[in-house]
Amino acid sequence: MTALEEPILPTSVAWGLLAAFSILWVALGAWLGRRNYTAADHMLAGRNVGLALASATAMATWVTANTTMTAPQLALELGVWGMLGYSLGALGLILFAPLARRIRELMPHGFTSGDFIRLRYGTFTWRVFLGVSLIYAFGWLISMAMAGGVLINALAGIDYRVGMTVILTVCVIYTLLGGLRAVIGTDFIQTVIIIGGAAFLAWMTIDRVGFEAIHFDLMEERPELLSLLFPAAIMFLFNNLLFGVGEIFHSNVWWSRAFAFGRNVGFRAYLLGGLLWLPIPIVAGFVALATPALGINVPAADMVGPLVAAEVLGLTGAIVVFIVVFAALASSLDSLLAATSDLVTRDIYRGHIHPQASQEAQLRATKVIVVLLGLLTWLAASYRGEVPVVGSLAALLYFTGAFVASAIWPIVAGLYWRRANPQAAAWAMLLGSGLGLASYFMIGWYVAALVGAAVSLVVMVAGTWLFPRPFDWDRLARDDHDAPAGRDTPEVAT
Amino acid sequence: MLRLAVHPVRFLLLVLALVLLAGPALAEPRFDDPPEHSADGGFTLHWEAPGAVVLERASGPDFDDARVIYEGGDASRVISGLPDGEYRFRLRAADADEDAWSDRITVEVEHHSLARAFGFFAVGAAVFLVLIFALLRGRPRG
Repeated sequence: MTALEEPILPTSVAWGLLAAFSILWVALGAWLGRRNYTAADHMLAGRNVGLALASATAMATWVTANTTMTAPQLALELGVWGMLGYSLGALGLILFAPLARRIRELMPHGFTSGDFIRLRYGTFTWRVFLGVSLIYAFGWLISMAMAGGVLINALAGIDYRVGMTVILTVCVIYTLLGGLRAVIGTDFIQTVIIIGGAAFLAWMTIDRVGFEAIHFDLMEERPELLSLLFPAAIMFLFNNLLFGVGEIFHSNVWWSRAFAFGRNVGFRAYLLGGLLWLPIPIVAGFVALATPALGINVPAADMVGPLVAAEVLGLTGAIVVFIVVFAALASSLDSLLAATSDLVTRDIYRGHIHPQASQEAQLRATKVIVVLLGLLTWLAASYRGEVPVVGSLAALLYFTGAFVASAIWPIVAGLYWRRANPQAAAWAMLLGSGLGLASYFMIGWYVAALVGAAVSLVVMVAGTWLFPRPFDWDRLARDDHDAPAGRDTPEVAT
Repeated sequence: MLRLAVHPVRFLLLVLALVLLAGPALAEPRFDDPPEHSADGGFTLHWEAPGAVVLERASGPDFDDARVIYEGGDASRVISGLPDGEYRFRLRAADADEDAWSDRITVEVEHHSLARAFGFFAVGAAVFLVLIFALLRGRPRG
């Protein structure tokens, strides 16, 4: 474990902040979830979320620990392009806007992205999709738990495992208590904290260090970071864009919101959320470029954001970063815990183990699964730096890029192409993930998603063109709330 | 059956010799699993040291242009943004003599070619444009 010489935040202050915000989130979770009586209440917040809360939750969930901590890491490693490239992740939210509307139209009673894939493509493709989706969800959960531990270790010197355990436990508890309603409600408050805190830090960094000093020292010490012809960063640009698109298009985090938002809300909410999100990585990432000017030693790339903030602002900066990242972490961890537990409940528990499970049984299963997911995440995050892929936040995150980007085309084709071939969809994910992973290890983490998306596109188009399979769209609305899993095959339109 | 019989005094002397031999090595800072190549101008240097260290970077084998890039008690440093070239790093304990460098490494930075970089860029742009086209044209038919 990488340790710093001296912690910036006194341990007692860190514990105080942890305790105060832990109590706040858990209390809000309990309060917001007090009217959850059924699985639908718990999983989809009554399917009537309005525009303000919907936009806030879209943006806050997308501002993850990865945004607030990986954006600076990417600026430190890939320079200006890394920072701008990360902000292209906003296109994932913006492009999901039309999909959200289409999803709501096609499946007014739907629960998960798995439901759609099962009904649209059949059992084999559904199982491949579940594999892809769960690998991603798990990778994201671990990366956020790691971010929590790194943050607390960087700022307060509290042992990584202790900090990670506390943050993860808090998120599990309030997700357990409140379901999606609590997740969306806390997201709104967390959005305000994140935007205000990030803007304050960027402004203070520029004010204290100045653009000229930042530019001069970068040219002296790390000139490639300012180069527009930085090869790895050029390769990274579309990789990150497609990674973001893949994350959002396939993940049940975003599908569950599309189902939960009121009619005609999804399109506007995702569009607005994306536009609000766009500047956040630039603001958060920019501070890392001040590292040479400040003469800070960065022992691990994913610690750079908190270190710069603390150096520039001292105790106040450390407290602001602590609160912002804790809010960002909580807003994403809870969303992912909720959405992944829904996916596991619907598609594995009900889909494969207990097809006749009642609403009450599903509600109970959802809660047990949240706890199990938390435990598995804790176990994996405990091995940060000791398992090859679980090295740094970016390394872990972009490992999952190959998987999620390969799911872009099966989703788009499934929603818009009437003749999309189900087998092609499965093979698009399998081959896209496989070759994307190969490129991750053979070329670099900055191309895995790009290769996955390109291979997936070729397979999906070729498979559908050579072996078209017409589909009856109405079948989705007809079957989406009661079809027992495991025996569905896509129906050929007559 | 083979029976190992070592006289206690000899055993103690052996242990003492090992400790004396190993002592100085443990006290000197050493790079831990240093990288040899980088294709993106960045890497992390880790080291093991009992206390504060001085880390220098140079571009030539004789360290003529060496300059201190870190001095303190951390155990690693992220290096990034380096252009193509061979970079030398050396390490010593902060309280050691100025010439008492205990470890040196060389890392070669050779960025991906621009042809490869723009090749990936072009593939990414093509996939993105097809995606935009698919979504804009994506009204269901039939």
